[in-house]
This record gives sequence, C-alpha cells and structure tokens, in this order.
Amino acid sequence: MARADGHGVTEWETRQADEVLVRARGGDTAAFAELVRAQQRMVFSLGVRMLADRQKAEDLAQDVFLQLHRKLSSIQSGAHLAPWLRQVTARKAIDRLRREPKHEVELTAAEGCAVEEQDADPLLEQQLRGLLGELSPHARAVIVLRFQDDLDPVDIARALDMSVNTVKSHLQRSLTFLRERATRKNLQASIRPLRAVNATREPT
Amino acid sequence: MNPDPQDNFENRLRAALQPVEPSEGFADRVMTRIAADAVKRARMGASRWFVMALAASLVAAIVVGEQWQRRQEQAGIEARRQLLEALRVTREKLDLAYQVVNSEARSPSRDAGS
Amino acid sequence: MKTNWHRTIGLILIAAIAAFLPTNNAAAADALLRLPNFDALESKASKVVSISLDEKLLGIATRFLDPKNADDSAARAVISGLTGVYVRSYTFDEDFAYPTTAVDAVRKQLNAPGWQRLVEVRSRKEHANVDIFLLVDRDKANGLAIIASEPREFTIVNIVGSIDLEKLHRLEGQMGIPKLQLEQKESRK
Repeated sequence: MARADGHGVTEWETRQADEVLVRARGGDTAAFAELVRAQQRMVFSLGVRMLADRQKAEDLAQDVFLQLHRKLSSIQSGAHLAPWLRQVTARKAIDRLRREPKHEVELTAAEGCAVEEQDADPLLEQQLRGLLGELSPHARAVIVLRFQDDLDPVDIARALDMSVNTVKSHLQRSLTFLRERATRKNLQASIRPLRAVNATREPT
Repeated sequence: MNPDPQDNFENRLRAALQPVEPSEGFADRVMTRIAADAVKRARMGASRWFVMALAASLVAAIVVGEQWQRRQEQAGIEARRQLLEALRVTREKLDLAYQVVNSEARSPSRDAGS
Repeated sequence: MKTNWHRTIGLILIAAIAAFLPTNNAAAADALLRLPNFDALESKASKVVSISLDEKLLGIATRFLDPKNADDSAARAVISGLTGVYVRSYTFDEDFAYPTTAVDAVRKQLNAPGWQRLVEVRSRKEHANVDIFLLVDRDKANGLAIIASEPREFTIVNIVGSIDLEKLHRLEGQMGIPKLQLEQKESRK
C-alpha cells in the first residue's frame, strides 16, 4: 500500500480525511466527530505524555478540538490536519506546564495501556515516563514527538517553532539525561531488596 | 552480538511512549463542548454586535448632538447679529427723520409755500 | 400755508391722540407687511441687507443677547413683546432712480385701516423721504413700518408685535433715536 508521508498515513486515508474535512467545514457535525475520533489518540497521547495526568490531558485535548472547530477554515487539507493538531497540542501543553509550579512527577500506574511486547520492561518504561517530568517543557515535547509520534527533527522543529539544531540539541541532552537517570534508578531498585534481606539477618 | 545499547534504550523509550486512547466517550464530550461553545459565542456575538451598534449609535448621537448644538449656536449668534443690525437700521432711519425734521425746523422759511 | 415742519407736528399730534382713543376699526390691516422681491433694486445694489426675524428667531436671538452689554440690554427691552422684525435695505454706488412699483405695493398695504402715518418727511436738501407708520389697535401699537428713500439708499423696516413706545424712547439715549410723539404726549399731560 502506498504511503503518502513518513508517518504511516496512506493516500487513501488522506483522501478520506479530505472528504471528511470538507463536510466538516460545511457544518456537518457528524463529519467533525469523525475527525475527532480519527485524531483523538494522537492528541490525547501527546497531552498525557506532556502533562502526565489523564484528566489534564483530556481537558487539553478538548481545548485543542474546540480550537480546531473554530479554525476549520484555515486547515488546507486532510494532510495538514495532523501536523496542525500536533503543533497546537504541543504548544498548549508547553504553555500549561510553564504556568504550573514545578513538581516531581509521580509514577502512576494508570497511564494507559501500553502494548505488551516481548522483552517488555514495564518498570523501566514506567520510570522513563516519570523521568520525562524532569525535562523542561520544550525538551519533553521534543522527546515525545520523536519517540511517540516518530517525527523527524525537521517536523519537530516546525511543530515547536524552533530551529532544527535546537531540536537536535534537546534530543541529545535529554536522551543522555534519561539514560543516566534510568540506570541510577535501576541500580537503586536492585539494591533496595538486597538491603531489606540483609536487614533481616541479624548478626547473632 | 549484543544489540547497540543506545538503540535498546531508544526502543525502551518508544515502548514507554506508546500512544494511548482517551477514556470512552471522548468524542461525544468534545461535541457537547463544541455545541455549548457555539451557544456561548452566539450570545457573545449578539451582545458584542449590540454593544458595537450601541456604541456606534452613541458616537453618532454625540456627533450629531454636537453638530446640532454648534448649528444652534451659530444660528443664535447670527440671529443676534441680524437683530442688532435691524435695530441699527431702524435707529438710523428714525435718526434720518429726526435730522430732516430738525433741519426743516431751523429753516422753516425756506420751505414756505411748499 | 403750513410748512413741512408744521405739517409734521400736526401729524404727530393726531397720531398721539389717536393712540389713546379707542378705534372702531379693529386692526383689519395686518401688521406683517407682504414685502415683495425688490429684484430691480437688488440687481443694482452694491450692498443688500435683508433681515427676516420671526418670533422663533427673535427668541433665539434674545437668548444670545449679553445682559452685560448696554446695546444688547436695550435691544432686549425693545423686542420684548415683538413677533417679527423685517428689514430690506439697498445701498447703491451711484444715485439710483429706482422704480417705485414694488414700493407702491407696500404703500398700498399701509393704506389699510389701522395703519396711521406717524411721520412724513420730505427733504429737498437731503433728497430724503421718510415715512413712519404705526398700526394702532385699541390704543395699542401692534406694528411699525418705515419707508426711507435716499438717492443712494432705500430701506423698508417692518416691526410686528406689541411696540412699547416707552422702550423705544429709552433706546434714544443709546441709539440717538429722536424723541418724537412721547414728548408730545408728555406736553399734553
């Protein structure tokens, strides 16, 4: 099947999106609801990864779709819809993070259902999601757009309105940070049970 | 052959950041919010138009009122000018009668027989 | 033979007496004269004064009279009770023997019952003629008309309303109006 772009969207899907967009622009609410359903996963996920809170992510996602409804006439085609949504979601999330007081992100269990894969390391993955909260809003957005949405640095730069070099710099530094912190946490996690065992062995 | 640790870490990161779905009924909640927003904007739009129309009317009324007042003032000034001019002319002609009468009175013999 | 002067005094006396006698003829005449278009005069005039102040405009003018100004105060006193002030005055650069057709039309109106010629002066020396008419109704003056013709100026004045001769007399101090019939009335008292 032919791919229209590098993000896994087929030509057929693009044509479908164009038709739905035209109907939605014409005031067809069912068509707009179709657009929401098609894009909600991408928008909501980006919100969750950025804000680390499902309720906040849903509020954000609703805001994004509300803005889409108001600005439908400015969306040129179905192919422009996803980049537009991504850009708006990322910028809104960054704005909200900047307004919120800094706090360490708690590791939460209810962060969505990751697909279970072979060799999955749920604990590490959970740690990584938590460590995202220690990155700056922009760095966090770069990591999420790169590793969740699989965007290349040029598209990330466009979405976040920054230079490609800045994107690459964020990527490099953030990955280094995450790797080091994850390794340290893993070591600490493996050490804790040993200490607990040793503590029970009272010297006689 | 050991996999590249960097690739492994990035794969872990990708796995950690798999997209997730919002809770059930998300699209319906979005459509409800859009409908509520449309009503709110319609009300705001109507009141904004009303306020704008009212503001425009007030400005127009003030401008027209000021113009009217200016015209009234100009009319009043002009009316006063004309009144004083009319009284001046009246005085002048009464003066003329007086002068003629006086000059005749000083030399009545000249007009004898006229 | 009476001189012009004697004739003038006689007319004034008659008018003064008439002012205090009830008249059988209610003012059938209109105090407001129908002033024609003086096109023949206007076309030759170098200066034209055309004033038409009805009751409404007089009211407006009154509001703009300055009580601190002597002329304004005197004017306010004179126009109190008036309902109209009309002036047509034409000034010529040269001696102009203007046609009398239009003027005759005005004189005809002043022949109506109620109008009384108060003053008629003819001066060969100044070549000036001035006629002053008063519309009297039940010993009240309700109208004043002046027709003044000089070689280079022609003027008609028509004042409508309750004319207070006393106040007109008071104007004399400020405006040099001749003391006419009021002196005559005082001399008879």
